[in-house]
Amino acid sequence: MEALEMYTVDRTSDVYTEELRLNLGPQHPSTHGVLRVELQMDGEIITAARSDIGYLHRCAEKIGENVTYLQYTPYTDRMDYLASMNNNLAWSLTVEKLLDIEAPERSQWIRVLVVELNRIASHLIAFGTYGIDLGANTPFFYAFRERESIMALLEKISGARMLYNFIRPGGVANDIDDAWMDEVLAFCDDFDKRWDEYNRILTNNHIFIKRTANIGILTKEMALAYGCTGPVLRASGVKWDLRRDIPYLKPYDEIEFDVPVGMGTHGTLGDCWDRYWVRMREMRECTSIIRQAIAAIPDGVHMEKKMERMYKTPLTPEPGEAYMRCENPRGELAFYAVSEGGKSPIRCRARAPSFCNLSVLDKLLPGTMLADGVAVIGSLDIVLGEVDR
Amino acid sequence: METLIGVFEQQLGLEGVWALSAAYSVCIGSLLGFITVYAMFAIWMERKVAAHMQVRMGPMETGAWHGWAQSIADAVKLLFKEDIIPSQSNKVMFWIAPAVVFCGVFAGFIVIPFALGLQIADLNLGIFFLISIASIEVIGVIMAGWASNSKYSLFGAIREAAQVVSYEIPTATALLVPILVVGSFRLDDFNLWQEANGWLIFHSPWMMLAGLVFFISSLAGCKRAPFDLPEAESELVSGFHTEYSGMRFSFFFLEEYASMFVASAVMATLWFGGWTIPFVDMSTWTDPDSFGLSDVAVTSIGIVVLLAKTFFFIFVQMWLRWTLPRLRVDQVMTLGYKYLVPWGFVALVMTAIFKYYGWGWFPN
Amino acid sequence: MNESEIISRMREAGLGGVGELDTSAADPFVVIEADSLRAAMLFLRDDEACAMEMMHCVTATERKASIEVVYHLCSYEHHHSLTVKVICERPEGGTHDNWRPAVPTVADIYAAANWHEREQYDLLGVIFTDHPDFRRILLPQEWIGHPLRKDYIYPSEHGGIPLELDAIPLYMEGGEEAVAAKKAERPAGEPLNQPPSKYSARPDAGGKAPESSEGKVNNSRDSAH
Repeated sequence: MEALEMYTVDRTSDVYTEELRLNLGPQHPSTHGVLRVELQMDGEIITAARSDIGYLHRCAEKIGENVTYLQYTPYTDRMDYLASMNNNLAWSLTVEKLLDIEAPERSQWIRVLVVELNRIASHLIAFGTYGIDLGANTPFFYAFRERESIMALLEKISGARMLYNFIRPGGVANDIDDAWMDEVLAFCDDFDKRWDEYNRILTNNHIFIKRTANIGILTKEMALAYGCTGPVLRASGVKWDLRRDIPYLKPYDEIEFDVPVGMGTHGTLGDCWDRYWVRMREMRECTSIIRQAIAAIPDGVHMEKKMERMYKTPLTPEPGEAYMRCENPRGELAFYAVSEGGKSPIRCRARAPSFCNLSVLDKLLPGTMLADGVAVIGSLDIVLGEVDR
Repeated sequence: METLIGVFEQQLGLEGVWALSAAYSVCIGSLLGFITVYAMFAIWMERKVAAHMQVRMGPMETGAWHGWAQSIADAVKLLFKEDIIPSQSNKVMFWIAPAVVFCGVFAGFIVIPFALGLQIADLNLGIFFLISIASIEVIGVIMAGWASNSKYSLFGAIREAAQVVSYEIPTATALLVPILVVGSFRLDDFNLWQEANGWLIFHSPWMMLAGLVFFISSLAGCKRAPFDLPEAESELVSGFHTEYSGMRFSFFFLEEYASMFVASAVMATLWFGGWTIPFVDMSTWTDPDSFGLSDVAVTSIGIVVLLAKTFFFIFVQMWLRWTLPRLRVDQVMTLGYKYLVPWGFVALVMTAIFKYYGWGWFPN
Repeated sequence: MNESEIISRMREAGLGGVGELDTSAADPFVVIEADSLRAAMLFLRDDEACAMEMMHCVTATERKASIEVVYHLCSYEHHHSLTVKVICERPEGGTHDNWRPAVPTVADIYAAANWHEREQYDLLGVIFTDHPDFRRILLPQEWIGHPLRKDYIYPSEHGGIPLELDAIPLYMEGGEEAVAAKKAERPAGEPLNQPPSKYSARPDAGGKAPESSEGKVNNSRDSAH
């Protein structure tokens, strides 16, 4: 372990405590993957922290330079594997921007549907694992029960449970039918009831509030400086949601929805509880979006006819570059693709939301206790597949 | 115990030290057997309780009927597992620690009155013995944490030391309250007192408070959630037994469930009448005029009554574990020193006043 | 404000080295000279009309003639964004092995750039001068080379673990024949420009089997004590 110089002990005094250096991870139950954090501890209190990432680096960007535009879609699944649909969407929009085309209207509504469903599934994992981080195991299973229904729903239209490869440049892979939409509506009704159940078991639990309120306070200035996005940013009081502010899909312009922001209900603005509660409320907004989308979905084709040539010959966009930002469950995912006219991009950059959200961890940890450190990591809701790519 | 020695001396013709050792062997053997079987059952029960709270089924395959044999299968697996001792550990301490931990809890069993006359050692200072012998476990845990040469284990051990030592104060204070009313340290006296007068928990509101304080502190003493900080799997991987595996690990496991039993049995005995049924004199059931039951039958009824109460409290412990998040270290200390200790003393003083003036719902 | 207004505002403020807005791509971008990058970034962040409080992404792109460092900035307040590029021309004969372009860091202006710049250094070998914590971020610290460079050649092993990969694109100009020719050019597993690890026990990788107990890779259970 490299030296951590942030905290020094006054060795001149008669009695002093040696700090302990603790390696949290890469194999640790609550680092949500293979994150390693070097901690310097004074007893139970963390005095310095440094996160070390890269244990799940799979050269996704290098792969992107070696495969065609369409072939790269499944690789985006593997970045944020809990929200594959959203990743597919971001990549598809990037390619569409590069090609200067727009997906058919029906496919845009289908995209909104599946993306919001996947957002619920992703937030459910955040909710469930956060409970486990704090020692409450039961909410996790409740969350997985609902996530299972979402996975079954998405499996019906895409054929896969987690890594969908459903949204593609030019549209979506398959059309949806009314029967499926009825099932989605039934799920939404059921989910709203379950949501109250979650709050009864975890959100309003006194111990839970004590463990999360006033812990890991991320101020608005810090959140902006470190490029935090998504629920982490909103919990710090910034009312910013790409879906509302820069609608990248037409339906988001037409659908009414609220953007939950942190309010410092039980403590300070931007603490762990706020981040948790923003995610919880976002799930309710998602069901509302889904209901509106199902009510308004137009008829049409699900895939641009001319885009089907992609399946036969690789796309060759004009030389140029495109940067496309999307609101993922964890924040803003952006893809930056540079074309020089070839079959594959010469640079394929993914700006991962977890990567930026995680970079603030080193500043949040010092001064908290070990148990709080786990709570802070959990509240940032990182996916290491996305951090390391 | 004395009865057993008598049996061996008179009926089998053994003399002095032989009778004593034979009696010891029988007691220890039966207790060990009981603890093992109980722990297996409790582990199965914990799984089932957890599973049904978490909308799943738990073990269903092993042994056909609701996975009843799952614990046995696990025990066999643990016995046959490779015995791993970390190369950098202090091997002697690493080896002794599980035994020390288990001894403390095991010794606690010998004073528990299971039924009329079914008690291994009928000590005058039974409760005092229980409190003191339970503290030995802490030493074993610290040994385990230190010997493992792992930082997580050390954290767990230090947390355990701080927590258990702190919570002995409210535990002892709460235990003094029924002692004050009954006027004895002998555990069976509580049973007889409650047989005559009704459950102590209904003696006064302060007795209820004392029962609550004892239950919460006993949760902390048993390292059960929400006080499972020494293990805290989301923070310390597995706490003091991170480096343990196989049979040694199973000793820690056994210890946890055994101490749950002791705590619940003490709760049942001191506040809820132990093996007795209030206002029913079970010793008269052997009388041919009433039921004409045999001694064995009456004893069995006593055991069943005690076990029912004990398992209820074990169930409550499990229930809490699968419901509540874990407290933080400083919050555990705050709860202990700022809430439970004062409450314990309030209950003690108020009960003393109630006893002096003869107040309460069934003054005695 | 749109991008051209931002740029004219930068010019009005007297910032030098700001190029013309290039609208050829889907996202218009502006090229800024490396020397005036920090001043421009400070202006963009602190100026009220620009208020680019968010450094969204830092990307380095290798092209034939240059390496571009691309900064994507955006503003929550005004809902506008700007793409800034710094272009480092490739010197004559500049390759992966001998050329590492240098760009001043903006990590102290935007904390978000800290990790992004480390990542671009790690993967493309762009030096961000005066960066507060300039280390590799994704790859191991002892890694040699910067894998996202076009002329990077995969090592045949790392830390004694053989990597039987060859970096041949699935699609190449010239079709399958070109791919096959490229593959024949360099058989997999051939020792490449990364020196074999000192822990290597593979003679074919150029390493020697370790003799001293120090650095010995224990992979057999018998030798474990």
